[in-house]
Amino acid sequence: MAKRSILGLFTEQQVDDAANAMDALAAAGYGTNEYEVITGTPYPEGTFGEAEPKHKLFRWPLTGAVCGFIIGLVLTAGTQLAYPMVTGGKPILSIPPMAIIMYEGTMLGAIIFAVIGIILESRLPRLFMGAYDKRITEGYIGVTVTTEEDKLEPAEKLLTDAGAGEIKRGWENN
Amino acid sequence: MASHVDVKSHQGHGEGQYVPFTTQEEVVSDLITKHTKVSDKWISGVVAAGLLLLLGVVGFAMRLANGMDDRVVWGYYALMFAFILSTASAAPMIAIAPRIANAHWRRPISRAAELWSAAGLFSLLLFIPMLWILPPLNDGRRSLWFFDPDDPVYSQVPIYTPHIWAALAILGLVIVGFVLLWLSAMPDLALMREHSTGFRQKFAAKLSGNWVGTTGQWNMLHHRMGIIGAFYFMMLIFVHFLVTMDFLIVLVPGWIDALFPITHAANALQAGVATVILSMIFMRQFGGYKEYITLEQFWGLSKLLFALSLLWFWFWFSSFNVFWYGKKPSEQAVLELLMVGPYLISFLAGFVLSFLAPLFVMVWNPVRKSIWGPTIMSVAVLFGVFFDKLRYYVAAYSVPGIGDAHVHKHFMDMDAIPKVHMPGLPDIFIILGVIGGAVFFYLIFARLIPPVSIWEQKELMLYKVHKAYHRTEVFVLGKPR
Amino acid sequence: MQEHVQLTQKEINDDLLAPVLGMPKWWYGAVGFLLLVIFIGLAAYGYELYWGMGVTGLNRPVMWGFYITNFVFWIGISHAGIMISAILRLTQAEWRRPITRAAEVMTLFSLVAALSNIMFHVGRPWRLFWVYPYDFSRGLFMNVRSPFVWDPSAVMTYLIGSSLFVYVALLPDLAVVRDRATGKYAPTVYGILCLGFRGTPRQWKLQGIAGILLSALVLPVFVSVHSIVSWDFAVAIGVEGWHSTIFAPYFIIGAIHSGVSAVAMIMALVVWLYKADRYIRPDHFDAIGRLLIVVSTTWFFFFFLEWVFALYTLESPEIAMRELQVFQNPFWWLFVIFLLTSYFIPVPMWLFKSVRRSPMWMFITTILVNIGMWLERFLIIIPGLARRQPFEFDWGSYTPSLVEILIVCETFAFVSLGMLLFAKVFPLIPIFDMKEGMILRDEIRIGRRTVPASIRETP
Repeated sequence: MAKRSILGLFTEQQVDDAANAMDALAAAGYGTNEYEVITGTPYPEGTFGEAEPKHKLFRWPLTGAVCGFIIGLVLTAGTQLAYPMVTGGKPILSIPPMAIIMYEGTMLGAIIFAVIGIILESRLPRLFMGAYDKRITEGYIGVTVTTEEDKLEPAEKLLTDAGAGEIKRGWENN
Repeated sequence: MASHVDVKSHQGHGEGQYVPFTTQEEVVSDLITKHTKVSDKWISGVVAAGLLLLLGVVGFAMRLANGMDDRVVWGYYALMFAFILSTASAAPMIAIAPRIANAHWRRPISRAAELWSAAGLFSLLLFIPMLWILPPLNDGRRSLWFFDPDDPVYSQVPIYTPHIWAALAILGLVIVGFVLLWLSAMPDLALMREHSTGFRQKFAAKLSGNWVGTTGQWNMLHHRMGIIGAFYFMMLIFVHFLVTMDFLIVLVPGWIDALFPITHAANALQAGVATVILSMIFMRQFGGYKEYITLEQFWGLSKLLFALSLLWFWFWFSSFNVFWYGKKPSEQAVLELLMVGPYLISFLAGFVLSFLAPLFVMVWNPVRKSIWGPTIMSVAVLFGVFFDKLRYYVAAYSVPGIGDAHVHKHFMDMDAIPKVHMPGLPDIFIILGVIGGAVFFYLIFARLIPPVSIWEQKELMLYKVHKAYHRTEVFVLGKPR
Repeated sequence: MQEHVQLTQKEINDDLLAPVLGMPKWWYGAVGFLLLVIFIGLAAYGYELYWGMGVTGLNRPVMWGFYITNFVFWIGISHAGIMISAILRLTQAEWRRPITRAAEVMTLFSLVAALSNIMFHVGRPWRLFWVYPYDFSRGLFMNVRSPFVWDPSAVMTYLIGSSLFVYVALLPDLAVVRDRATGKYAPTVYGILCLGFRGTPRQWKLQGIAGILLSALVLPVFVSVHSIVSWDFAVAIGVEGWHSTIFAPYFIIGAIHSGVSAVAMIMALVVWLYKADRYIRPDHFDAIGRLLIVVSTTWFFFFFLEWVFALYTLESPEIAMRELQVFQNPFWWLFVIFLLTSYFIPVPMWLFKSVRRSPMWMFITTILVNIGMWLERFLIIIPGLARRQPFEFDWGSYTPSLVEILIVCETFAFVSLGMLLFAKVFPLIPIFDMKEGMILRDEIRIGRRTVPASIRETP
């Protein structure tokens, strides 16, 4: 069965209702990867009772730093060994200048990879918005459910019972 | 969305919440009991520190027996004077800076940091012999004071320059440190006035003056602590500037390093943080303050220690790069003396312990956010500071011709660089004695003034409130100013 | 923050998107004027390219003049972004919220302006790529041991790092613009730019981490960039007044001084031009004013140290150069103006709360600071070069030509235009940051007093 998604919209004042909706979905047996809250602004973690998102972001800047370090080393040592020319009476492989450029390479690698990691760990880029409403960025709180078609209607009912003002269907407006 | 939280609705318990009770009365009674009880551990500490101090006095006497003309043998003494200036005198900054930044996590440890001003008294005592060790200006060395024996104007610079200015600066620093300690302790001394007996009660009554806790008194207290804190910071930088200039840089011919006073001060801040972290672990393990000094404090200070370790490298490299690149013979000789020549091992030890180890160990958040991670790194940093200062002070004091007007003072030859000066038995005694002495002074003062600031804990209970926030728990931090 | 205006998310969207979705009345005029200045500056550069460097005032011994002064100045201004953004993020200072993006964007354009000054300064700019290991047929690679090769590595790292930082922090706001934009292409373009950001807890958590992680990564780069630029001067032994170890931290603290002042200027302009007085309150000006007092006093101490050690050397060429700087025409009055404008006028004024809280006075004083800091770089570079050799017949002087003046003006216009264009396309005040600030805002009632507070997550 194909997966579809729906969105239950709650107003800015209905934070607890949205949290109740999340609880009801959990109690009804929906998996944590099947429902999610979306907000236009960051709330303190756990406000809606959601589990702490797990990520392995630290791998990215670490990998990037190592790559950058190696590139810096190859660049500085390689270029000077390729066409060696003594300048300023300093050795061909002078550690202080090499350290400077290798340091910049390390940091650049760490930053670039960190940004890539942040984007990918955020599960972006996302090609299709799915169930979404523009009012989310105006303060509305959305609870989305992405599941098989036969489980959608009970989910709709749970959202409405919890107080959702409107239900939007992802496949209808994308 | 604003919500009103009544102050009575908070809970104050759990790891990391750093106020283990729910009412101010409980906090006061707990902290006063901890403070007034004289524990065996404190007695052992004082005895051990006192014995080390005595050993130091013996070592000093052994050195003094041979007079002060031979500066080479006084290098380790100068090293330890600078070590105390870098560790104990910089520690109060840990109370001052986070207070200005309104960081609440400093509250349980600010008094422990300020108490190190007491060891400032010890540094003043240590400074007195330095006045005789340092030769007068007419030996031809460069100086800050534009002394020129042939010039009708500049030879009028008093012959006790620079000694008197450095002495006044250090005296000023110690006095400001004590004023800061006294101001910060005043409300607690008023508490002790009401809750203790005997000598402690008399002492507290005298020093707390007419403190009763009116709004005007509290406002004045905050205002004054801010000003004195800023003043202490400026005095600290000034003292480091004068001491490094007059007692270190000028002794090495050809060493012109505009950055070094700042490097010395920044290294002192790093050492001060390490000193406070060690004080924290002792207070937790032996002082019974486990519920007050929690992970939060170690995490806050470990971030500072990490940042300052990175700064260590930056300041060192800024100086090094300019000297290395320029290849001026005078500067090459300075690098040879202080870094890659006879004191290479000392330099490497300092480099590894003050920078490399903290960098690679504390870059990991789980290490920073632990109790023992920052503690072990603080020990490493303090050893690093010791070895780093060793290569500067012992090397500088062993340069030939200090005090001798016939030896050229503006330029040092590569072959004039002395060999490494190893410590003798009196020097070992002095090293141990100075550390013991600083700890001794600290422990004595910690008996008179509560080492955890009681009034700041009570203030925290007003401004830090836990509450439920929909499905989670948050805490609310008030910012009254 | 003691004063606070609690706004709904919709109000915040409306206010902060007005410059993007609408068109302020003054916009065309301002952009037109700036484009004119840029055009004239570029025309002057074209003239310089055609006729050669002789059209400038540069000559032996003063080989570095306005362009290098301007280069260092803009590198300095670029340091504001990270100072305000990274350091205030790491210390969780709430007052950073409205100003982080403006500071970061100023960084980006300042860096490009700085790099352009190098292009203006070198006689054969088509050879600038030689700093990179390209073109194997020449039999020569760049000299890694030269500070002029360290410079591009540092500045490019900082530029790329800051751009990525701005972009990552912009993602949630791009989502807001996507939702509010009208027209045929705008929603799609913004949708592509925001990569489909929706606002899930995972995305918000990573935004929070991104702010802290990238701040912590860019901060060491920020320290290294201006240190490396300062070593362009400090490692040289030939020029008096340059070979000083203090240059790296001195330039950094000078950069922070001029950069934070520039941010205060931008804040005042944003309040006046974009009517953002509900977001940038007098409290924000007060906070930045207090930061400036600390920063400028620290800078002054470093300046004092540099001077003390210059005199301490007792070397006659060094002392002669200092005498030139302080007593001789034309440098003496530049020196006086520099001291007054960079420290002795602004700082005593900032000691007064009424001055700190007034956008107009902060604008005036910070303009003075930047005039002073531009002169500071001029006074470091030109007098030293003018007296570079020990023999009098080698001494020279420097008079900037019209070409140099026009090009320097062009750089100021370029940065201003860049910021205006950015503010037209993207929200200059971070929307989600302001919304987060509203949500985290709380109050504690103690007796009759209500103390403003912030919500923090339990660790």
